[in-house]
Amino acid sequence: MRPRISRTATAAALFAAVVAPLAGCSSAESGAGARPAAKAAEEFVKPYDLRPLIQPRKKYFGAAVEKAPTSMAAVDKYTDMVGKKPNLLEYYAAWGDDFNAVGVRNAWEAGALTVVSWEPADTTIADIADGKSDDYLKKYAGSVRKLGLPMAISFADEMNGHWETWGTKHVKPADYVRAWKHLHEVFDEAGATNVIWAWSPNIVNSVKSIDIEQYYPGDAYVDWVGLVGYFTSYESNAFDYVFGPTIKKVRTFSNKPLLILETAAEPGARRRADVQNLFKGVTDRDDIIGFIWFDHNKRADWRLEVSPLALAEFKRLAADDSFGFDVRKP
Amino acid sequence: MEPSIDDPWGRGYRVPEQQDGHTPDHNDPYYDMGWAGGQVTVPEQQTYDPYTTSTAEPYQAAQYAAPYAQYHAPYEEQQAHQVAQVPQQQPRQDASPTEHGQRTADLEPAYRIPQTPDAGWDMAHSKRRGWVSRAVLLCILAIQAVLSLRLSNTAFQDEALYLYAGHMELDHLLHGAELPIDYNAYFSGSSSLYPVLAALADSAFGLAGARALSLACMLGTTALLYSFTRRMFNERVALAAAALFAVTQSTIVLGNFATYDAAALFLLTLATWIVVRTDRASAAAVLLAAPVASLAVGVKYAAALYLPTILVLAVLTAWPHRGKRSLWRGVALAAGIAALLGIALLASDVLTGIQKTTTGREHGTESAFALLQRSAGWGGLLFATACVGAISYARRGRMNESPRSLSMSGPGRRRRVMIGIVLCATALLAPAYQMYLGTGVSLFKHVGFGLLFAAPMAGIGVSRLVGAHFRYPQLGILLWVVMLCVGLAQSTWRFGVWPNSTQLVDVLRPYVNDKGRYLGGTHEVAVYYLRGQTSQRQWTPTDNISYQDSRGATHTGEDGYKRALDDGWFDLVVLDGLATGGTDALIADNLKANARYRLLATVPFENSSGSGAYRVWVKR
Repeated sequence: MRPRISRTATAAALFAAVVAPLAGCSSAESGAGARPAAKAAEEFVKPYDLRPLIQPRKKYFGAAVEKAPTSMAAVDKYTDMVGKKPNLLEYYAAWGDDFNAVGVRNAWEAGALTVVSWEPADTTIADIADGKSDDYLKKYAGSVRKLGLPMAISFADEMNGHWETWGTKHVKPADYVRAWKHLHEVFDEAGATNVIWAWSPNIVNSVKSIDIEQYYPGDAYVDWVGLVGYFTSYESNAFDYVFGPTIKKVRTFSNKPLLILETAAEPGARRRADVQNLFKGVTDRDDIIGFIWFDHNKRADWRLEVSPLALAEFKRLAADDSFGFDVRKP
Repeated sequence: MEPSIDDPWGRGYRVPEQQDGHTPDHNDPYYDMGWAGGQVTVPEQQTYDPYTTSTAEPYQAAQYAAPYAQYHAPYEEQQAHQVAQVPQQQPRQDASPTEHGQRTADLEPAYRIPQTPDAGWDMAHSKRRGWVSRAVLLCILAIQAVLSLRLSNTAFQDEALYLYAGHMELDHLLHGAELPIDYNAYFSGSSSLYPVLAALADSAFGLAGARALSLACMLGTTALLYSFTRRMFNERVALAAAALFAVTQSTIVLGNFATYDAAALFLLTLATWIVVRTDRASAAAVLLAAPVASLAVGVKYAAALYLPTILVLAVLTAWPHRGKRSLWRGVALAAGIAALLGIALLASDVLTGIQKTTTGREHGTESAFALLQRSAGWGGLLFATACVGAISYARRGRMNESPRSLSMSGPGRRRRVMIGIVLCATALLAPAYQMYLGTGVSLFKHVGFGLLFAAPMAGIGVSRLVGAHFRYPQLGILLWVVMLCVGLAQSTWRFGVWPNSTQLVDVLRPYVNDKGRYLGGTHEVAVYYLRGQTSQRQWTPTDNISYQDSRGATHTGEDGYKRALDDGWFDLVVLDGLATGGTDALIADNLKANARYRLLATVPFENSSGSGAYRVWVKR
């Protein structure tokens, strides 16, 4: 008599021989396991519709003041001084700086949009275009996405000037365009869709030989065209003189909304008139969505407080309802 | 309990039929499982020796204090010992007949063992067996329900499409509202049947209600499978078939999936059940199955693939009772179904849809080997078990341990072979047809249709694997547990193939209205969830476009998408990169450098294949 165990074992072995390969057929599919849906839910940040901020019904009333928006004390002081709370706050970030989420949130909670002027001083534009800064960029973009609040980035502004390390002396226009597009794509890939992209040349007056169009990445990559231009004592203070040529040139290749991204008037007797021209120029053109007053003492004292007459005029004109709005309810 | 002659050990049962002297032969299905060769012997048979006592109470306590004492000795020795104990009576030659008769009477034992029955249990159906069997079936159904209900996700593209279509059909039927599109032109089942029913459930209980309808259908399918398998074979086979079918991937998924499939499968099973149940009734009774089978085909056109199996079963199941006349049964059923389907075709406009989705489906490029591999993964275990069952059934038709079943005339070998081939081959129909088409679309569901028919054979396979008297229950349990694990893993994977769309719908809600034009890869889902604010008419899919530009020129395919996007035709574009990955990539590339659109949001998701993201563009 054959022992019973041997029959059982034989049957089990035969069964296993049949079952094992068939069961294995499913391994390719089942290997993925359960979906970590909670992780996806954690990463999700409800998007803002930036379109009302990109093309607002009223004008932006912006300012660049010391330590803002990390600290809002200077903003409060500026608000007291000019009689209106700025709704666009610009600050300057070096390449390699962490994203200032605290500052952007501070500004947002005060009803203002933050503009980061991102200055790639410690790297080359070509390296950025080639993806050599991608780790930093992805981390930065991830932080921007995670915060989820609208903000604007002005990358490597005044690229048409020779005075910046990313300017005409060091960078080929094609590399600049490549870098800009790459930056934009990295942010899109990271899902950081809460960024308004401001392409910001210096006004062409002082660099007439440079064709700014060749630095333009294209309408698909730009939301605002920012203009950097100052009223100086040695040139005409007419708005059309300061910004007209640049606007005229920009309009040959783009119809994007214009923002006076950085402006101020040199202290002096003409400063009050400069302020008047600025407000009038911005008001007269529907395609200019506002301006940012550079209220710093850097290379010159651009602060309004040093010119009481100009400040008073500034305060009077800023009181107009067409300037300023709460960016949270555009 | 007091010992009795029939029950010497007082255990409540009688001495098994071993004493009847039956010698199993090689055709006996249990020959190799211990009946032959004296492996299973009844100890009391050898310990009882009526010749050793003349008292009326042969079983004194001392005698069965060690009832197995002799059992340890070899059987032959025991027999010899017993023979030796019988007094050797030598009749005297000179004795007169009277004296001889007197002596013979003296040698008669005090009593005789009554004739014992040949089986210790009754093969006939009993109430106890009935409710035990039904209780086990209920457990199987409960397990099936739990396995299906544990799956959770938002509506799949097809579910969303059918449910939305059902709502539109309802509006059309009740209020005369115009249908957004002609659903019958491209649906794989009539849009007036299942979608309407599912939409009613959806209206009352939401998606869960529509899916509960599918669960009811699948539970009904398993219950009917049990019922007709029991009728064809026996309870054990039926329970095994139901248990295996209940844990397959397709059964689990279809039980929580609001598409045609569960309803069609249920109707097919009901038709099969009617065919099997009416095997002894008049030939006309089989016509009861005709409307049900026709309805199954109406619900899902591909169900027609399984009609031949039902027709063959109509003949085979009636053969023992009618012989060749059972062929008329098949003919009657075929004629009935053909007539009903013919009328339905003439009275409706579903022919285009049938051609587009079923008979004339566009051929794909998936390799036959890949499709075979996938089919094997989803149903290979059940199919292999069914093949084992079919071979075993062909060799031995006996379905019961009871020796009484030996005298029963079961199906002949030829019919057993045919039943096995028909049921097993049916499982190959869907994979074979899809291999011919070169497409794996919906194969994971269609495999389940064939497995339904193979399940009874798999039930036999398990029954034979376990053996008579549940000799090797561990094998049956092992097989079921393996199938359960495979079914669990595969159904979980399947239900995670599509991303959860909750967040996407939240993102889209503020941007969708009844006037916009939208392009979307999974727009059916958005249309279903946002049906109060948008219509299917407003959405263009990512697999088919016909765009007419401002000059009246029509653009299709990739050019159509490019032109439409360049012209800023759409107000919103939604891509998931899943169903139409190639086109999605093309559209995304266009949008990246398209000044008319701006990326509004990326909504990350995790699915069974890894991670991805919905991308939503809005017009600037």
